[in-house]
Amino acid sequence: MEKKQGKKRESRGLPLLLLIILFFCILSAAVLFVSHKISQEMSDSAVQNLSESLDLIQYTIEAILRKEAEFQKLIAKEAALAEDPEEYIRSYEKNDTMVKLSLILAGEEVGVSNSGEAFTAEGLDFSMKRAVEGLPISQSYVNYMGAWAYSMKCPVVRDGETVGDLYVEYTYDSLERSLPDSFYNKQAALYIMDAETQRFVLKPTGMGQRSAGHLNLEDFYRANSIESPQLRAEVQTALENGQNILFYHDIRNVKALNYIWTVNDGAVFLIGYVPLDAIQQEGRTVNQNIFIMVFVMLTAFLLCCLLYSFSQKQQNKIRQEREMEREIHNKQLSEALQAARIASTSKTTFLSNMSHDIRTPMNAVLGFANLLAKETENPVKVKEYTKKIMASGQHLLSLINDILDVSKIESGKVVLNFEKFTLSDLVSSADAIIQPMAKAKKQNFHVSVTGVRHEELIGDETRMNQILINLLSNAVKYTQEGGDIWFRVIGLKQRSSQFEHIRIEVEDNGYGMTPEYLETIFDAFTRAENSTTNKVQGTGLGMAITKNIVELMGGSIEVSSQVDKGSLFRVELECRIAEDQQDEPFWRQNGVERLLVLAEDQELCWNIKELMREAGVAADAAADLSQGLDLMRNQPYPLILLDWELPGAGEALAALQAALPENGALFLLTSYEAEEKAPLPEGAAALPKPFFVSALKEKWTELQQPDDGKDQEEQEANSLKGLRFLAAEDNEINAEILAEILEFEGASCEIMSNGKLALERFDQAQPGDFDAILMDVQMPVMNGYEATQAIRALPREDAKSIPIIAMTANAFAEDEKAALDAGMNAHVAKPLDVKLLKKAIRQYTGGTE
Amino acid sequence: MNKQNRNIKKKDLAVLGLAASALLILTACEKSEQSGVNLLPAEQEEQQTVNLFSPMEKTEPDTENAARNATDTTVAMVEEKLGVAVAYKTYTAENYKDKTYDDVALDRARNNMDDIYLLNPDAITALGVEGMLADLSGLECVQNLRDVVKVANTVDGKLVAIPQEVVAYGLFVNQDLFDQYKLKLPETPEEFLECCRVFKENGIETPVGANRWWLETFVLAQAYADLYNGGNTAAEIEALNSGQAKYSDYMRPGFEFLQTMIDKGYIDPEKALVSEAIEGEGPDFLAQKTPIVMAYWGAANAETAYGKPSFQMQVIGFPSSRGQMPVMSMTGFAVGAQAEHKETAMQVLNEILSDQALQAYAEINRVISPSKNISVECVPALKRLNDRIEKNVFVLGANANMKLEQWGNTCLVVRQLLGGATVDECMAEFDRLQAETLEQ
Repeated sequence: MEKKQGKKRESRGLPLLLLIILFFCILSAAVLFVSHKISQEMSDSAVQNLSESLDLIQYTIEAILRKEAEFQKLIAKEAALAEDPEEYIRSYEKNDTMVKLSLILAGEEVGVSNSGEAFTAEGLDFSMKRAVEGLPISQSYVNYMGAWAYSMKCPVVRDGETVGDLYVEYTYDSLERSLPDSFYNKQAALYIMDAETQRFVLKPTGMGQRSAGHLNLEDFYRANSIESPQLRAEVQTALENGQNILFYHDIRNVKALNYIWTVNDGAVFLIGYVPLDAIQQEGRTVNQNIFIMVFVMLTAFLLCCLLYSFSQKQQNKIRQEREMEREIHNKQLSEALQAARIASTSKTTFLSNMSHDIRTPMNAVLGFANLLAKETENPVKVKEYTKKIMASGQHLLSLINDILDVSKIESGKVVLNFEKFTLSDLVSSADAIIQPMAKAKKQNFHVSVTGVRHEELIGDETRMNQILINLLSNAVKYTQEGGDIWFRVIGLKQRSSQFEHIRIEVEDNGYGMTPEYLETIFDAFTRAENSTTNKVQGTGLGMAITKNIVELMGGSIEVSSQVDKGSLFRVELECRIAEDQQDEPFWRQNGVERLLVLAEDQELCWNIKELMREAGVAADAAADLSQGLDLMRNQPYPLILLDWELPGAGEALAALQAALPENGALFLLTSYEAEEKAPLPEGAAALPKPFFVSALKEKWTELQQPDDGKDQEEQEANSLKGLRFLAAEDNEINAEILAEILEFEGASCEIMSNGKLALERFDQAQPGDFDAILMDVQMPVMNGYEATQAIRALPREDAKSIPIIAMTANAFAEDEKAALDAGMNAHVAKPLDVKLLKKAIRQYTGGTE
Repeated sequence: MNKQNRNIKKKDLAVLGLAASALLILTACEKSEQSGVNLLPAEQEEQQTVNLFSPMEKTEPDTENAARNATDTTVAMVEEKLGVAVAYKTYTAENYKDKTYDDVALDRARNNMDDIYLLNPDAITALGVEGMLADLSGLECVQNLRDVVKVANTVDGKLVAIPQEVVAYGLFVNQDLFDQYKLKLPETPEEFLECCRVFKENGIETPVGANRWWLETFVLAQAYADLYNGGNTAAEIEALNSGQAKYSDYMRPGFEFLQTMIDKGYIDPEKALVSEAIEGEGPDFLAQKTPIVMAYWGAANAETAYGKPSFQMQVIGFPSSRGQMPVMSMTGFAVGAQAEHKETAMQVLNEILSDQALQAYAEINRVISPSKNISVECVPALKRLNDRIEKNVFVLGANANMKLEQWGNTCLVVRQLLGGATVDECMAEFDRLQAETLEQ
C-alpha cells in the first residue's frame, strides 16, 4: 500500500519537475534573448558613441592646429611689417603652446630664434607634405626640451615678396590640456601617433604607463598581441589613406574596441582602445539588473518550491509520526494482549497447580481421616494417621498462606512490622528449621556468620525469617540428596553508622536453573517444573514473595545459577541498629573481661575475638587443649568456649571445668553435625554455632540466674482450667473443634451460631458467668465486629471489661486492626493454634485464679 | 506544546517575511532625491599632480618586470599616503639613432619640464654641476642612507640624487658552458681572455655579448680596482680632480683590454654599437649562444631580463688585478631645482625613499637597498657577486666627487673605440675631457 502511494507520489513529482525545468529553460532563453538584444543595441550605440567622441577629439585637435596656423600667419604678418623681422622674432617670448619661434630670412641658411640661438631648418622634415591652413607641418620630433614637438613653416611676405620663413615649434603636451580628462572613466587608452614615424607622441600619464606598448605602432602591436597580418594590413591601408578604423581585439585578455582615428588628413592619428566593459557599461548595467531581477524571481520561486517541499515533508513527517504512533500503540496493545494471555495462561496453570497441590494434601487428610475412622481401636495407627493428617493440614495451611501473601503483596497491602530482633535468633531459628530438612535429604548444611558488628537490629523478624526459610527450603528442595547447602550471613561495610549492612547468601550445588527460567524466577505463579509432573512440592510463589519482601525492605536480591552446578541467591539488606546495644557494661558488670576459646577452626576463633573485642572482652584462642590449659594456668578465665569438634574435647571437659574460677562458665560450641557425632554430656551448657555475642549473653544470663520450674509455672499459668467461655461460631465443625480443644484444656464453652445470639446470651448472663468471649468474625445475622460493638455498648459493668478475642480466618494485619478497632482485645487466626489461643486468653483473663 | 511552538515559529517567520517584502517594496519605490537642481556630481578638488620622468618598458609586454612593479608599488604607497597623483612622463629611444634617455632627461630637467627625474649617474653629475637639481640632504630619509650612497651622489656639497637601489653590475656567465669547456670562472683580465679564447676555438663566434651602454664596466673595473680598494681613495681622487694624475693613465689598461677583445673577435663592435641593453645581446645569451654578458643586479631577478634562464647562471665581478670586481652604479631620483611642484615633489621623494617604501621595493625587486637598515636575501646566482660587495670589494661606476663624470663619458669614449678609434685616441679624448673640467 505504502509502496503504491510512494509510486503515486513519484509519478506526480516527475511531471512537476519537468514542468519546472521547462519553465526555467523558457525563462532562461527569454532572458538571454532580451539580454543579447540589449547588449547588441547597446554595443551599436557604444560604437556610435565612441565614434562621436573620437570625432569630437579630432575636431578639437584640428581646430587647435588651425588656430595655431592662423596665429602663426598673424605673427608672420607682424614680422613682415616689422622693421627688423629678426629682432621682432627675438623679442617674442615663448609660451606653453609655441615653445620656439625662428626666422630664416630668404636666401640664408641660418636664422634666429626667440631663444637667442642660431637656427637652421636642418632638423625639420616637411617631406610628408602635410599642411594646416596651407602651412606645411613637420614630422614629429623630440625638441630641445626633451618633449615631442612639431613645427609649422609660414612664409613671411612683405609686399608680395617672401622675405623669409617663420618656423614655430609646438609641443604635443599643449594638446593634452584639450583632451578629455577621463576618457571612458580612465579605462580607455588614448595616444596621438605621428603618421610618418608612427611614433606615439602623446601618451597617458597614469600608473602603469611605463609598461610596454607606448613607444610606437609596432610596440603597440606587440604589447597588445595584434599579430594578424590581415588586420595589420587593413590598419596599414587605413593609415596610408588617412581613414578611420575601429576593430575588436583583446587587450591583455580584456575584450576591447581598438581605434585608429585620423586627424588633420592623416598627419597624426588618435590611437588606442576602449575595453568593451567600459563601452557597454549601460548595457551591462541593464543586463545586470535584468539578471538580478530574474535571479530574485527565481530565488523567490525556488523559495516557494522549497517552502512547499518543506511543508510537504513536514506533513509527511507528521503522517509518518502518526503512523508510527499508531504502530507503537498497536504493538503495545498486542503486547498487552499477549501479556494478558500469558497472565491468563499462567493463572490457569497456577489454578491447575493449586488444584493439584490442594487436592493432594486434601486427599491425604480425607484419606487418613477415613482410615482413622476405621482404625479407632488401634492407638498406634491413630497416632500415625493423626500425624499425617496434621502434616497434610500444615502443608495446606502454608499453601494458603503463600497464596494470600502474594495476593496481599500484589495489592500493596503488606505492612512491615518493625521490632527489635537479634540476628542470632534469626539464624538459629532458620538453622533449626532447615537443619532437619537437610538432614532428611542427607545434605550438608553449612552456616557461617562473618563480619557482623551489631546483632541487635530493628526489622520485621517474621518477614526476614520468611525470606531465609524461602531461600533455604528452596535450596533443600532443589538440591539432590547428599548435596551441600551454604548459608552465609556476611556483614558488609556500613554505609551509615545507624544501619548494619548485611548480605545473606544461600548457595547450593543442586539442580540449578536454566537461563530462561532465571528470567522469570521472581515472577509469581512460576515454578521450575510443572508441579503436576514433578515431585518437588511448592506453590511457586515463594521467590516472588521473597523478592517483594526484600524490595519492601529496601534491599536487593539477585541470583546466579547454572544447570547441574547449583545456584547462588544473594540478598543485601540494611537494617537499623537497635540503640541499646551496650554489651560492654554487661560483661564488665558480670566480671568478664577475658575469655578463652578452644577451637581448631581459626576462622571461628578470629570471629569470636573480633566480636568479643567490640563487646569489651578480650579473647584468647588456643588451638588445642594443652595450650588452653597452659593459658589457664597463667591467668583465670571466667568464660571458656570449647569447640565440641575439638579433638579430645569430651575428655578434657572435666579438667577445664575444674580449672574454672568461681562463677565461671564453660560453653560447648556445638553444631548439628558435631552433636550427631558425639552427643553432649548431660548438663553441659551448649552454645550453637554460628557464634553470636547475644546468644552467649543470653546463655550466660541463664546460667547465672537459674530458672528452675519457670517452664512449669508458665505452663500452669497458660492453663485454661476452670475458665468459662462464650463463643460465637457459625461453622459447626469449627465450633466442635473449639469445644473439644477447650474441654481438653479443662475449660467450658457455650457456643452461639451467630453474633446476635452471642450478644443476647451475654446480655442475659450474670457478670462472671463468662471469663471471655471468643468471637468469630464472619457470621450470618450479625458479624463479629457488630456483636463486639454491641456487647461493649451494653449497659453493664463487665461489658467494657470482658475480654473478647477474635478467632477468625481473616488473618491479615488489617483484620487484626479491624478487630481491635471494633473493641476486641486480641486476635487469633484460624486454624487455631492452641498455644497462641491459650496465651491470648491468659493475657486477658489473668490466668487461673 | 511542541506543535504550538512550531506554529508560533511559523507565524513569526511569515510575519518576518512579509515585513522584509514590504521593506523591499518601499525601498524599491523610494524616489532618490537630490539636494539641488544641478545634476552634475560636485566637482572634486583637483588633486595635485607631480610629474615623474622615467624610462618606459620596451621589451616583452606580458612578462613581469620586478623593478617596475617595485617602483609602482612604492609610488602607490606614496599616492595613498600624501593624497597626490604621480604622473609618469616617459621616454625611451626607439633605436640608437634616437636621442638617448639621458639626453632627453637632461633637456627636460634643464627646461623644468617635470618635478622628479630618474637619472643615470652621468646625468646626475651634469645636472648637479649645473645647479639644476635640488639639495635633498634635508630630507628625513637621508639619515637612513648608506655612506657610499651619499658619497656617490653629492655634488658641490649638495646631495642631488638618491637611488631606490644600489645597482651592482657584473658579468652574467653561463656556468654550464664554462663547465663544458672545463673553464674556471675568471678572476683577472688574462684569465678572462683565456676563457674567451677557448670559447672561440670551440666554435662560439662571439663569447661576450655587448651593447652600447655597459662595456665601460670592464674599463671602470680595471681602472679603479686599486683606487677604490687600495686604501688611498680620497688622495687619488683629489690628484685626478687637481690634474696631478691623469684619467687616461687609469683608463688605458681597460681600453687596451677591450681593444684586444675587439681584435680577437671576442666582441662584435658593430653590433654592440647599435644594440640596446639586454635587448641586443640578451636573446643570444639566453639561447646559450653567448656564454658571457654584462648586466645589472636586478637583471638576475627580472623575468624581462635573465630571471629565468634554462641553464645554470652565475653573476661574478669584472676581471681586474684585484680579482672579480663588482661595479656599483646608482640610478637616482632627483628633484628639479626650479620644479613647478618642488615642495610636493620633495615630500613624494621623502616617502618613496623612506625605510618602509624601500623595504617594499627591496623585497619585490630583491636588490641592495640604499638604506643601511634594510637587507634582503639575494637569489643564488648573485651570491658570488654579493659576497664581494659584502666584503666591500667593488668600484664605483660613478662618483660625483670626481670632477670628470665617469659613467657617461667612459661609455661615450668606449663607443668611439667600438667605432674604430684607437686606444691612444681614446686616451687623448680623456685628456681633453679632463682639461675641460680643469678649465671649469
